[in-house]
Parts: sequence; structure tokens; C-alpha cells
Amino acid sequence: MSRTTRSFVLMFAITLVGFGWTAPGRAQSAADIAVNAAKRYSGTTLRVLWEAGLQAQDPLSFSGPEWKKLTGISIQVVETPFPELFSKMVTAHLAGSRDFDVIGYVPAWQADLVEAGVLEPLNPFLDKYMPKGTLDDIHPTYRQWLNWKGKTYGIFDDGDVFVMYYRRDLFADAANRAAFRAKYGQDLVPPRTWTDWDKVCGFFTEKYKPSLYGCAIQRTEGQDYFWTEEAMRNNGVRFFDPQTMKAQINNPAAVRTLAEMVNANRNMPPGVEKWGFIEVFSAWMAGKVAMIISWPPPGRWSEGYGNRVEQLKWLPETKVIGKVGYAVAPGGHSELAAGFNLGVSADSASKEAAYLFIQWATSKETSLKRVMLPYALRDPYRLSHYASREYRALWPHAPEYLDTLKLGADRGLLDLSIPGAREYEESLDRATAAAYGGTPPAQALDKAAAEWDQITQRIGVDKQRQAYQEWAGKPNAYPR
Amino acid sequence: MNVTRLSKYGLVAPSIALIVSLTIFPVLYLLWISFLDWDLQRAGRQFIGLANYVHGLQDRRMWEALGHTLFIVVVAVAAELVLGLVLAEALAGPLPAKKVIIPFLILPVIMSPIVAGYGWRMLWDTQYGPINQLLGWLVGHPVTLVWLINSKTVYFSLIVTEVWQWTPFMFLVLLAGLVAISPEIHEAAAIDGAGRWQSFWHVTVPLIRPLMLIAVLIRALDVFKIFDTVFSLTFGGPGTFTETITLYVYLLGFRNFRLGYTAAMAVIVLILISLATTVLLRRLSDE
Repeated sequence: MSRTTRSFVLMFAITLVGFGWTAPGRAQSAADIAVNAAKRYSGTTLRVLWEAGLQAQDPLSFSGPEWKKLTGISIQVVETPFPELFSKMVTAHLAGSRDFDVIGYVPAWQADLVEAGVLEPLNPFLDKYMPKGTLDDIHPTYRQWLNWKGKTYGIFDDGDVFVMYYRRDLFADAANRAAFRAKYGQDLVPPRTWTDWDKVCGFFTEKYKPSLYGCAIQRTEGQDYFWTEEAMRNNGVRFFDPQTMKAQINNPAAVRTLAEMVNANRNMPPGVEKWGFIEVFSAWMAGKVAMIISWPPPGRWSEGYGNRVEQLKWLPETKVIGKVGYAVAPGGHSELAAGFNLGVSADSASKEAAYLFIQWATSKETSLKRVMLPYALRDPYRLSHYASREYRALWPHAPEYLDTLKLGADRGLLDLSIPGAREYEESLDRATAAAYGGTPPAQALDKAAAEWDQITQRIGVDKQRQAYQEWAGKPNAYPR
Repeated sequence: MNVTRLSKYGLVAPSIALIVSLTIFPVLYLLWISFLDWDLQRAGRQFIGLANYVHGLQDRRMWEALGHTLFIVVVAVAAELVLGLVLAEALAGPLPAKKVIIPFLILPVIMSPIVAGYGWRMLWDTQYGPINQLLGWLVGHPVTLVWLINSKTVYFSLIVTEVWQWTPFMFLVLLAGLVAISPEIHEAAAIDGAGRWQSFWHVTVPLIRPLMLIAVLIRALDVFKIFDTVFSLTFGGPGTFTETITLYVYLLGFRNFRLGYTAAMAVIVLILISLATTVLLRRLSDE
């Protein structure tokens, strides 16, 4: 090799290495871009509306202080109980109070919030600050919730998918397996259908009660509709006739579904009709139920993750560490129950700063830290969260947990997300609660269907038809 | 116009301004809104005349809520009247511990209804509530009644809570009436051969009837507006099984933001209450 050639090769190598070293530095992440751009707003304060309780521990104890350290922008958290969140957003907007800059809202409410003028479109900010392809890391199912009528109003921030938790030890027990096979002629495995759920639940209840019951699901009024929507769709029910927009929630399959749900209560602990999240969760942690269906946090906490942090000192001591199994809900399609988007208030005086906070908080790096906060309730929702080595090493069964969350999201069912969604859901919720209270399911659902038709008429049949057809066309609206 | 006349107007002006701004204007504004199709979640509002009223009168849920409310009014007020009268009669005469018993009896009235509601919610709790616990001891096996969900028990729970809190009010009013009756009237009845029951039924009750009517009127109007207790105990559930008219109006206005329709509902309720009050007052003046 001549000297000239050697010099050329050397220079080329140096250039390549140099380029190689500097390239990552130049391709800034969404978080870095947000932080750098937000520094110009240092000294200001952003008011964020967040669900009260553990959810708010994230901005209070982690993302708020962290953002302040990085940008000099303070975060003031306005905590509101879940049932009041929607009203708070709308009334604040109507009063023109400019109370909030960032709003944490349930994606199913997006259509109503946009129509009420509460949310600011994020497209100009996304075009300006969000690196191309960054949002592709959000699970495709959850990405279906970012837009309304072609515009983006929120960035998804909480993978609230229902998970079935079961006691591995009870399912693995040889005596249980033999007894179950003898009784039903099939293997004792985590149930894949609601019929099997009822069998397994009844089997354990019969054998162990009152020290342990076969299953528990929260049945208290207010969030019943999540389970009803899920079970109905798993049984083939469609919410509306796509042409006439007549409600279909009282058709024979829907009535049968609700009747099965009511019937299932007989194997659950006494008084389950009044059990909420906490009661179900406490019974699970105490080892008093063999199966529950709930949101992702119990899966972490019952394995002992986060039990020692200050915010979770109130939790009952878990007696099921190492015994927790995870599965998709019976029927194979879990409800993506609620979730949260982060959006910018249309009334905010600091829209850009608010957006930048959202971009930073939901970025790949920051969001991973947030979904791993032991005390917060944000659940994995990015593909990188499910694959995170760090997360998968948190407890022995964490990989299985994350795989189940991903599978749940893959096959999950979106909450009904059209104008008036909240009213439709509240009506279905009342029907479900009425059935638990003794009203015949057909009667309860007839009443709800009449209410649904009234809501549709009031908002406008054509408008609802268009919105429903668009929603029903999404891959995760109905089981496929 | 002289100075005296001017000063007369000046003196009443603040009161008139207060009444106009706090009573007349809100009622007129409510009326105006009730003629609008105004949903705070949708853009715009338009005048639709009586459409909200027509729709309201066809609203099955409103009539059901009204039915629930009237049921609670009738049962609760009747129970309060009977219990209040029994207590007042028992405590009207000389009793050694009277000065201690009466303050204790009126304690529930002092309590905020929302606090009483949440307190009773814990008492009715299926798992941890002392009511199920006590019943369990009585019958010798665990009792797991779901008081606030089961359609067979929910009204009982609701009305017991309401009666517990407001019977003392009825008792106080009736006690005032009973102690005001001159003992000589009862002595005269006794001389005429009236027994204790006859004296109570034919002497005491007629004498305190106007007071009873006033107490019933006040309580009936109050129970018609029942909100806090239902809100804290059942929130109208299961489903809409215990939904009262005030709760329904609240949900329409503050959860669903249907301002025009809510205003029409409020006007309908106002008219119904006014009618009921007029009938009861006429009855009172006849007495």
C-alpha cells in the first residue's frame, strides 16, 4: 500500500469513526428536543389536571420535579377524582378560567372534549418538535386513540388493559387437577372462555370457601360498563346497527351475556356486588381469591414490587408472591379499559410549553421510567416498554407479565369512543348494576337500549353513524 | 316628588335589588334557558320553544325518578310523623332523665346529611357493616345482605337512614305542641270518662293537628328535595332504582351538561312543588 493510499485509508477511517461517534449526538431524542425547547419557558408554571390519588404521585413525585430540574418549569398538579374529571375539564373551559395547561383525559372522551372545545390540536407542535416515527413505538392498538377527525389531540400515556390474574399454586396442585378432571372431564387450566371461568371459579369456591373463593371481579356501580362491553363483544354483540344506529345492546346475545355475568356472582365472595378495585385487590393480595380480572397494577404489587415505598405503605401485605399467573381475560379479548391520553388545554396560555412537557413525559426514555415507578398507576404501553430488559428483570415473572400485557393490547378491545361515549357507558353501567341488584337482565338492557337510542337521536343519527362507522372500522373495536 | 317619598324608595331599594338579583333574575334566566337547546358539550345554542318541556314530559326516567321521590316522601314522612309523635308523647310528661334524653335525640338533625349518609353507608356495608354483624349474631350464622344493591332492601336502607336523621325534627315540633296543651283539657276529658287512648286520639291529636300539618309540610318539601342521602348511600342505584328527581336533574346538568333540558326539568319540578305546597297550605288554612 502506497503512502498516499495509506493516508487516504487512515483519513477515511478517521472520518467514518468521527461520523460514527457524532451521529447519535446529532439525532436528538424526543425527550432531549422537548427539554431543550422548553428551557426558554424557564420560570413559568404549568398546571396539570390529573386523576387524584396514586395516579397523581407520578407528576407530584417524579415527572414534575424532574421536569423542573431539566427545564426550570414548575409543574402544579390539580388532582381530581376520576368521576369528576370530565366535568372539571368542561366546566373549567366554559368558565374560561384557564385553570389547566396539560390535561390527562380518557381517550374515549376525546370526541366530546374536542366538540366542547376543551382540547388543542397537537399537529403544529408534533410537526415542529416530534422526530418522525417516534410515536410508532406506542403499541399500534393504543395509537388508534390519538386522533379525532384527522387531527391529533393527545399522546397515549397509560396502557390500561384488563388482565386475568390467577394463583399458579392452586392450578398446579395435583389434588385440584385430579378433582377438576374427575368433575368436568377437562384439565384445570386458566379459563379461556366465560363458561370455563364459571366452572373453575365454582370449583375453587366449592372446595375452599369461606377461606378462599374461586374468583372476584369488581361489580360496584361506576365502572361496570368496562366488563359488560368486554363480555358482550366477546360474545359477538355489536353496539349499534351500523346503518340505522339502533342500539343492539338488548339483543339475545347481549341479554345472555348480562345474565351470565349476574349468574357468575354466585361463586364470588358474598357482597361482591359492592366490591370496587380496592376490595378485589385486597382479597387477591390476602390470598382469598383464586382468580381476578383487573388493571395491570395488581400484577406488580402482588409480586411484591413497590410494596416498601412510602406511597404504597397502605397496601395490604401480599401473600401471593411467586404464585401469580397472568393471562388474557376469558374470551381472548381484554378490554382496554379507560387508559389516559395527555393533551393540551385549548385555554392554556402556555400551549407550547404544555406540549413540550407531554412530549418529554411520554417519550421512550421518560415513559419507561414512569411505567416502572412502583407507586404510580401508569402501565406499559410502548413496544419498548414490553421489551425493556430493565423492566423484565424487576421480578421473576415480570417477562410473563409484560408479554401478557402486550398480548392483551394486541387483541384488546377499545372502549366505545364516539360522541356521547360517556353517556352511553353510564347507561350501560346503570343497566349492569340494576341487573346485579335483581332487575331481570332483559328489562335492564331494554331500558338502556332505549336510552342509547335517545342519546343517538339527540346528538344526531347521521353524525353518530359516521362516527360509529369510523370507530367500528378500527382493528380493535371488535374481536377479529 | 318630595324628599320623604324619595327616601322611602331609597330605603326599600336595597331589598328590591337583592330580591331581583337573587330570586327574580335567576328564575327568569332559568325560564329563558329552558326554551333553548343548549348542550355545553356541543357548539351553539338555539331557541326551541317548548320542545324541552314536551321531551321532559315524555321522559320515562324523569317520571320514574318522580315516582321514587314520592314513594320516599310518603313512607319516610309518615314514619317520621308516627315515630316523632310516639317519642313526643313519651317525653311530654315528667321524666327524670328528660334533659339528657332530648339533646341526645336531636343529635342526628344537627349532623350534615352527607355525613349521616356516608356514616350509614358503612353501617349497611355487607362485609364490615355492624348491621349484618348484629343480624348474624341474632340468627346464628353469617349474614351477607347487600343492603344498598339488592332491589329488595335498598329502599328500606335509604328510608331508615332518612327517618333516623329527621324523626327528631318531627319530635321537637310535636313536643312543643304537646307541652302547650293545657293539662286541664285532659283532666276534663278524663272526668268525662275518656281513657288514655281516647284522650290522645280525640283530644291531643285534634289540638296539635295544625302543628302536625306544618311539620309534615316542611318535611315533605324537604324530602322531595332529597339529594345528599341518596347521593352518598346509593347514588340512585342499583341502576336508577333509587334515583330521585333532584339527583336526576343534577346528573343532567352537572354530568351531562344539558343546560336547556335541565332548566326545563327544574321548572317542571318547581311547578310540581308549588302545586303540592299550595294544596297543603290550603288544607292548613281550612284547618
